[in-house]
Amino acid sequence: MNNVLKFKNKKNTVAAQDEIYNFAYLDENTKRMIRRALIKALCIPGYQVPFSSREMPMPYGWGTGGVQVTSSCLTTDDVIKVIDQGADDTTNAVSIRNFFKKTANIKTTEKTSQASIIQTRHRIPEEKLKEKQILVYQVPIPEPLAFLEPRYQETKKMHALSEYGIMHVKLYEDITKNGHIETAYAYPVKTNDRYIMDPSPIPKFDNPKMNNNPAIQLFGAGREQRIYAIPPYTEVTSLDFEDYPFDPSKAPHKCSICGSNESFLDEIIIDDDGNRSFICSDTNYCNQRMENN
Amino acid sequence: MQPILSVHNLNKYYGNQVGCKNMNLTLYPGEVVGVVGESGSGKTTFINSISGNLIPDSGKILIETGNETIDFLEISESLKRLLIRTELAFVHQNPRDGLRLDVSAGGNISERLMSIGQRNYGNIRQTIFKWLDKVEIDKSRVDDFPRTFSGGMLQRLQIAKNLVTSPKIIFMDEPTGGLDVSVQAKILDLLRKLVRELNLSVVIVSHDLAVIRLLADKIIVMKNGEAVESGLCDQVLDDPQHSYTQLLVSSVLQV
Repeated sequence: MNNVLKFKNKKNTVAAQDEIYNFAYLDENTKRMIRRALIKALCIPGYQVPFSSREMPMPYGWGTGGVQVTSSCLTTDDVIKVIDQGADDTTNAVSIRNFFKKTANIKTTEKTSQASIIQTRHRIPEEKLKEKQILVYQVPIPEPLAFLEPRYQETKKMHALSEYGIMHVKLYEDITKNGHIETAYAYPVKTNDRYIMDPSPIPKFDNPKMNNNPAIQLFGAGREQRIYAIPPYTEVTSLDFEDYPFDPSKAPHKCSICGSNESFLDEIIIDDDGNRSFICSDTNYCNQRMENN
Repeated sequence: MQPILSVHNLNKYYGNQVGCKNMNLTLYPGEVVGVVGESGSGKTTFINSISGNLIPDSGKILIETGNETIDFLEISESLKRLLIRTELAFVHQNPRDGLRLDVSAGGNISERLMSIGQRNYGNIRQTIFKWLDKVEIDKSRVDDFPRTFSGGMLQRLQIAKNLVTSPKIIFMDEPTGGLDVSVQAKILDLLRKLVRELNLSVVIVSHDLAVIRLLADKIIVMKNGEAVESGLCDQVLDDPQHSYTQLLVSSVLQV
């Protein structure tokens, strides 16, 4: 309720907010339910907490889980950034940003360093996150064992008893088929040396950024009704074999706009002759580099 | 010598229906105990109850691990599942029940190794080849999917998958059921070889007296959920005392 009171006190300054909606769309009871799930998730890093996901004004698969988590974390002082595959200007990112602009009337930004909450689809920003920042991931399938063990009841047991042999069977099959671990995104990680977790479909290039990150990392899966989290400064390791260690590979190119060697690149076909170009997937990172040069 | 597995007064009911009643079993290291009986006599219920697949209604199951005696029905589920993954093995009648069909043959064999913490691909691969060799599957089939295997090969793959962590006790439910006679003979040969070579302790269920005679040291004859006769295999089969055992022995086809 604090949020509502705070919001009402501030009413003069946020007059533009749509009166039909409660602050940030969700009602306060729902937010409280989600916050409880979030706290539990933070206490048990990597553990999937069930929550009663709400119908949102967007289709499943478009970030309903992430939006509910963001909505529950928002205060009127927050500055929000939304990215989709690293970009601030794609449909999904723009519409979710507008959604919060309309229902919460809060400040938005494209600058990673200025955001207090960053909702993301399938990337972690290149710029290092700081304490007091929250990164909210949109998660399609939260269960890392789902493709190996279809019975939900059984996967719950496997998590509870740390029976994770089967996860390495998948990596074994990868090496056997391709000579190396082929999994390039949604690469499974172990959180706090206990739970195996699906990091959502971020490229494995981003996996090392999850480890010991000062920011809070929250994961919301709307359709599957699960929330999980990584508290700040938590150990997150990517699964591998001793003789096939984890490799956060990236395309061996430079960004053709900003020239960065370090950032994750999108490959783009630029003409009818099939010529290719590589550019940073993190648009804000690329823009900032251009501005600074 | 201490028995590696002992079962005392085990009962399992399905409602009012008897699954198995008042069953006892003592298995010494390196010994093979056969359980025979007609369809519906409770053989499978019995082996499922003592291997952790079913929870019996009453009775006691003691497993000797070398350091301690474990009361199998009293331990926590996590310890129980750990035992099932490491010290125990279960060979199903239908190999499709014991294998992952969308994982390669090698992947199937490797699962138990990785679940006990092996993380070196090279070593795991070596162990897989060793076991393929042991169960006489061609090494070139290591990356093929089980669904491309014949029935006999599937059964041999299931045996390899189960034995790879050197379990102490192996349960087999009709391991040669549904296979043609020549393949049956091959599997039996293989099992006999492995039992002798690796000094395995086995409880094997079969309705086929020939299978039991070939493999087992001791035998339990079941009828209507109860053991009607038990003893040394040759003794029971050559000089059956109970009328049902006599019937069973006399009904074996002579070719």
